[in-house]
Amino acid sequence: MENLKAYIESGVLELYVLGDLSPEETLQVKELASQHQEIRDELAAIEYAMEEFAMQNAVQPPADVETKLFQKLGINIEEETSAVADLPLQAEPKIARLDHSDGKVIRLRYALVACVALLLMSTAALFVTYSKLTDAHDQIASLNLDKEKFAGVVSKLEYSNQGLNNLVEMSESKDWATIKMQGQAISPQSKMNVYWNKKDKRVVINYLAIDLPKADAQHEYQLWALVNGKPVSLGVFGKTDSTSREALLKMQTIQKAQAFAVTLEPMGGSVNPTMEKLTVMGGV
Amino acid sequence: MTLRVQYCILVIKVTALKKLTLTEPELVLALQSKDSTVLKTLYSMYSSALYGVISRIITHTELAEDVLQETFVKIWQSAEHYDNSKGRLFTWMMNIARNLSIDKLRSKDFKNSLKNQDIENNVSFVDEQNKVTFNPDVLGIKQLVENLKPDLQAVLDLVYYKGYTHVEAAEKLNLPLGTVKTRIRLAIIELRRSFN
Repeated sequence: MENLKAYIESGVLELYVLGDLSPEETLQVKELASQHQEIRDELAAIEYAMEEFAMQNAVQPPADVETKLFQKLGINIEEETSAVADLPLQAEPKIARLDHSDGKVIRLRYALVACVALLLMSTAALFVTYSKLTDAHDQIASLNLDKEKFAGVVSKLEYSNQGLNNLVEMSESKDWATIKMQGQAISPQSKMNVYWNKKDKRVVINYLAIDLPKADAQHEYQLWALVNGKPVSLGVFGKTDSTSREALLKMQTIQKAQAFAVTLEPMGGSVNPTMEKLTVMGGV
Repeated sequence: MTLRVQYCILVIKVTALKKLTLTEPELVLALQSKDSTVLKTLYSMYSSALYGVISRIITHTELAEDVLQETFVKIWQSAEHYDNSKGRLFTWMMNIARNLSIDKLRSKDFKNSLKNQDIENNVSFVDEQNKVTFNPDVLGIKQLVENLKPDLQAVLDLVYYKGYTHVEAAEKLNLPLGTVKTRIRLAIIELRRSFN
């Protein structure tokens, strides 16, 4: 024990820690250290002191020494660490759904989009159709107007045609007598024909063969037959521009007559003719 | 098998902590498994302490940097030779640094670099080689070393700061070997006291 203490105090352990012993001495220290706890403790204390001393006398080396060192050793620190860091990423679990609701949702979304698109298209089409329909209505209205106009023209033409045909028939027939009445004092320009059947005594007027002044709303013309100096009413007739279907108008029959005359009378006719309003007159 | 498991755990720890410090057994384990990421950790933990040791022996900055680099290369390459029964990892690394520094100081390289000094710089350079430089960062320690008795300080200066062996120091100081050894011991005991 005394020897051990002397050995420790000789300073050989400090030199051992400083690496300043010969190989033989070094081996001896190792052997003794493996045998004696005291030596191990003493060595640990010296080492700790030297390490602490070095730590407190530390001097920061320039940064490029580190770079050069790792270049020299061919170690790329960044790559190595990032390679390790990448590992957990690869191992990341993939989530697989057990039901297929994902697909359904996607399909429904597509359907929704399609519906909205269809709705928009339909609305647009509806507006276009509506405006076309309005145009069509306008056209139909104007066509109807045209049609009515043409119908009017056609009926007028038919009426004229019928009237003319009748005129031709009557003038060719020997049964019919045509009495031409001339304009009187109030209307010298007026003319009118009366057709009188000699057999059955029918009296007919033809609107196409009437040329009288236009009567006002309160008056109409009345046809008279003069029988032995006395006037006999044969009926009233409408305005010369009447658009009734028949150009011919049957008046009352008369057995005998010396002359025919037309006067302008109040609406509905009069019992006796108003002589001042005698418009046309003609003898048989 | 257990070593393998331990190493795997360590890899996870190193990856998670990156530059943070590791305990000495963890460092040793990683070093001996040739895990290059641990060298970064080792460097960040110890480079300045080792550079402190080196730059006190070699005051020529560029040469000191070279030695620091060589030190880490050697640590990396001979990690498998480290045996924790020999002592602490730092002691092993410090001795590599000290030995490389002393080798450098005695090598042709260093002598050439001395010869290559310009005449006008020579005086200050030689002067620099022969005095203890004062680093303001470590004034506290300097103070402590200077508070040592002068005879203890002279020995510590030579052995620790100038890379002398105790035999060389004895010659230089003209003292018996035993006295030099004892003085080194007493100086280190002073340090131990101040750290406890």
